[in-house]
Amino acid sequence: MSVIKRLLAFLLSLLILSAAVFWIARLAPGDPLISYYGERAERLSPADRARAEAALGLDKPIHVQYLRWLQNALRGDLGISYKYKQNVLTVIGDRIGNTLLLGGVGYLLIFSLALALGLVCARWRDRPLDKILCKLGTVTACIPEFWLSLLLILVFSVTLRWLPSSGAWSLGADGGSAADRLRHLALPMTAVVAGHLWYYAYTVRNLVTEQMGAGYVLLERAEGLSRGRILLGHCLRNVLPSYLTIMAVDLPHILGGTYVVETVFSYPGIGTLSYESARYQDYDLLMVLCLLSGAAVMVCNMLAQAVSRRVDPRMGAGMDGEVTDRG
Amino acid sequence: MDEGFTLVGMRPAEPSRPVPDRRRRGGIPFLSLAFLAAMILGCLFCRLVMPVDPGYMDLANCARAPGRAFLFGTDAMGRDIFSMIWYGGRASLAVGFLAAAVSACIAVAVGTVCGLGPDWLDGLVMRLTEIFLSIPSLLLVMLLQAALSRSTVAGIALTVGLTGWPRVAKVVRAQVRQLRQSGYVVAARCMGSGLFHLLWRHLAPNFFPAILFMVVMNVRSAITAEATLSFLGVGLPLEVISWGSMLSQAEGALTSGAWWIVVIPGLFLTATLLAITQVGEWLRRRADQGGDAL
Repeated sequence: MSVIKRLLAFLLSLLILSAAVFWIARLAPGDPLISYYGERAERLSPADRARAEAALGLDKPIHVQYLRWLQNALRGDLGISYKYKQNVLTVIGDRIGNTLLLGGVGYLLIFSLALALGLVCARWRDRPLDKILCKLGTVTACIPEFWLSLLLILVFSVTLRWLPSSGAWSLGADGGSAADRLRHLALPMTAVVAGHLWYYAYTVRNLVTEQMGAGYVLLERAEGLSRGRILLGHCLRNVLPSYLTIMAVDLPHILGGTYVVETVFSYPGIGTLSYESARYQDYDLLMVLCLLSGAAVMVCNMLAQAVSRRVDPRMGAGMDGEVTDRG
Repeated sequence: MDEGFTLVGMRPAEPSRPVPDRRRRGGIPFLSLAFLAAMILGCLFCRLVMPVDPGYMDLANCARAPGRAFLFGTDAMGRDIFSMIWYGGRASLAVGFLAAAVSACIAVAVGTVCGLGPDWLDGLVMRLTEIFLSIPSLLLVMLLQAALSRSTVAGIALTVGLTGWPRVAKVVRAQVRQLRQSGYVVAARCMGSGLFHLLWRHLAPNFFPAILFMVVMNVRSAITAEATLSFLGVGLPLEVISWGSMLSQAEGALTSGAWWIVVIPGLFLTATLLAITQVGEWLRRRADQGGDAL
């Protein structure tokens, strides 16, 4: 029963989201015909223009357009991208792999590195090592992602000429070899990981520190267990559920964090695509991209709630949505 | 038996005294406050600091490296970067503070209504907030920005502020929910106090310390957002000087090797963000302590 209820709420949310995005996108004053016809759009005669708008269905009032979009979408036809003149799903399908590679591997790196870093900081809390890491982390967390990306390009691409500054593979080598792709991934990946790492490492540090004040730690110290053993064997286990919840909730946030980085590195992924579609009024593409990311956020939220409820049954039904407050 | 025996190896226990925990209190971040004050004053009174007009394009001196004539060099259009830093800081800081103020107002309004209102309203608004939050914030700002179609400082501040409130609203709501059952709120209601009186006298003093930290952090994210948007070319245009729009020339600068155009505005931006973060952390530590003392 609750599954059906959740599913219904999920679908309703998507519906509201689609209506909101549809409406906001069409309020924007730009000209979608430019994204369809390119520069030619400005030279169209009024009659041609009206015909073009009618062909794309842009001459009707917004709510009529929306209903028609909804009708088509329910039949599985999500429309075409004005710019690429292809089915929206094809356009997205070509690029989503790149984003999943960048965001997915980045996510795993952030997850594991933050855990390790947080544990190190907690183990040597308030010692010089921890203090240095904390200072360093605070500074890196403040650097805007796009500027970090620019600095990386400046140092590694422009000055040292070690790594390429844009794209996902070298020109000509479509698809590219693994080594080639890796070389293109290195800088964006560094930017994504460095931008998020400290926030989560600090979270782990604080969660573990909280645990270290608990009674069982004192008892185990008295029994003669080493600090490392207690930390890894017992504190970690208690911290992991909250950490997993936080990471699940933030999965879309980290994926979204790749948007800016992708744009700076002109990496052919969802981020670059979203930016283009929002900027040049590629309506159908924009709709699907927003719905996609919206669905990802909602699924991850539900996942996080399920995880926390499974791990800790005290997180009852009344706590819906409270899990996000931890960060 | 002799009463005066002592156990071997046992020392009389000394009464323990609570040790003041210096770690948690932490010092006032003098350096950050001083830096922020210097930035704000420098930007407010930029006319006194700037050697030349920041908008003046000295076409004979395009993309000059930092030197005696131009302290931080000039950009691709021959504008003096040192002057632009101070002049552009006004726009960046203004966006930060305005956006934070806008989002704080929305957050308090929404949070209070949710906290005091009936359950169905609360559930509805929270659900809508969740949907709202599921659009990546960069995309949301871009869409709103395009819809409001205003590339001015106030316009950017408004759009960024419109996207920054949900986190704060959640905290306000949680606090208000906790407080609305408490004795003094019930008493005030019984005596017929209005909503605003209640909010101002009884609720706000309670949640203010908790959200102050978040509002300060919102200043930070708003400044970052403005810089990112302007850099991408959807925020402030090139002729409206801000730290972000200065960085929007970065691509050309990178290829021509003019590192100062990229590095210097970014350094000021990052240093300011860092100082704001330090002040925010300090406020949070103070708020936490207040909670302990109760």
